[in-house]
Amino acid sequence: MNAEFIIAYRRRLSDRSKEFFETMQNFLFFSLRSFGAMIWMKRYWSDITTQMYAAGTSSIVIVLVSSISIGCLLTMEVGNQLESFGAKTLTGRATALSVIREMAPMVTGLMLAARVGASFASELGAMKISEQIDALRAFGTDPIAKLVMPRLVATLIMFLPLTAVSCAVGLIGGSFVAQGYHNIDPGFYWNSVLAPLEFHDFLVGFVKPPVFAVAITLVSCFNGFSASGGTVGVGQSTVKGIVVSSGLVLLLNFYISKLVLENL
Amino acid sequence: MIELRNVSLSFGGKKVLKDISLCIPDGKITAILGPSGSGKSTILKLMIGLIRPDGGEILVDKVDVVKLPESKLFPIRKQMGMVFQGNALFDSLTVLENLGFFLGENLSLPESEINERVRNAITFAGLDGYENELPDSLSGGMQKRLAIGRALIFDPRMVLLDEPTVGLDPISSKKILDVIAKLREERGLGAVMVTHTIADVFAIADRVIVLYEGMLVFDDEPAKLHASDHAFVESFLIEQESHSTPHNNKARSPETMS
Repeated sequence: MNAEFIIAYRRRLSDRSKEFFETMQNFLFFSLRSFGAMIWMKRYWSDITTQMYAAGTSSIVIVLVSSISIGCLLTMEVGNQLESFGAKTLTGRATALSVIREMAPMVTGLMLAARVGASFASELGAMKISEQIDALRAFGTDPIAKLVMPRLVATLIMFLPLTAVSCAVGLIGGSFVAQGYHNIDPGFYWNSVLAPLEFHDFLVGFVKPPVFAVAITLVSCFNGFSASGGTVGVGQSTVKGIVVSSGLVLLLNFYISKLVLENL
Repeated sequence: MIELRNVSLSFGGKKVLKDISLCIPDGKITAILGPSGSGKSTILKLMIGLIRPDGGEILVDKVDVVKLPESKLFPIRKQMGMVFQGNALFDSLTVLENLGFFLGENLSLPESEINERVRNAITFAGLDGYENELPDSLSGGMQKRLAIGRALIFDPRMVLLDEPTVGLDPISSKKILDVIAKLREERGLGAVMVTHTIADVFAIADRVIVLYEGMLVFDDEPAKLHASDHAFVESFLIEQESHSTPHNNKARSPETMS
């Protein structure tokens, strides 16, 4: 009985491992083909601009709301802690470094994973289930060039300005809290925000959006393309896309910061 | 001519097709008949390289589709217009755009020729006046005719139809079958029609292939179906006839076959 259980367990483990490595291999080929399809950028430029507009307009509100609240909260908490050391004047500096290096890219990445990634995975999943992706292939159009590459290019272009907006809004939110809650003069706040900033602070913050764009788009689109099993399958692939891309955003955020800060 | 030689295919460990060999002639309507899950639709997708088999050869005019990379399959696919079971129309595009989409995308044709081909396809599909409608606002029969019109857009010499009458009322079904027959009579086009409705086979097919559990169990003229002594074919015929005449004898289920 025990031996049978162990054999069955080992078989299941081996099947799962095989399935995992096959998925990773397929994802790798899918990613390479998506980058390779960039040679068709001119041909699909109208699809790219449509996706840029969709990604930008659909995400701007959620990015603004989440960034302003993060900026406010961060300034409030940091100010409280620094006040106990008599260093309240450093609130702007601490907020600026946290927002620019970490919070703005991460919050934007997470919001985009939820908003843009979910829309990519569900749209493509629905197209897969209704055989529209097969129809593209059957009539000679490469679905990766037509559907994935424009989304990839659009997010690569749009994530950077969205992150910049998130930074600005976070710091502006912080200035209101600094003035209203901590009684810090706005001029003093902005001076402490801008004065200590160096090139590598921006580098840490702005190297992340393109990486997040690639991770979110490829993971979401791959999950959409892998959808099967009707409407339930579309839902599952969408959820999987959001969960994996959000996890990747958190993981990559940490490792990029570590990598850049250790080497500069 | 399309030829399948010893084709086998599995999905997730389950054998869908087992060593299938068959030949589809040009200019004839070949029906592939069988119960759900017998691998009928899979055969259509194999013919244009949407799915790769585990083993065997798929020859289209003596060119093995299996050995061709995706980038070299377009000349083959252009000759075979595919009509998907759920139509696979682009729901955000109008009737006009659905028909013209692939012409603009994949053929370097002058605008005037694209417009002419689209106009011909609209007339053939009987969709005059619906050019600017979205597919969702069309009836099931009209959507199917639009899908057939799209399948003809590259002037193929063969049309592959996956369950063309499924989900349609008898009048719409007859219209679709008439359209398919008209393609053979007027344009000399061949067709491969996957179906599980025996009435469709007797209505227009020149030849019928019956699949059961991934195996080919009959390949001949429809008239000879009744003479078949294969237990599944007999059972299938009785079952279908009992559906058309409700008080007929009870059909034998495939499980009780010897």
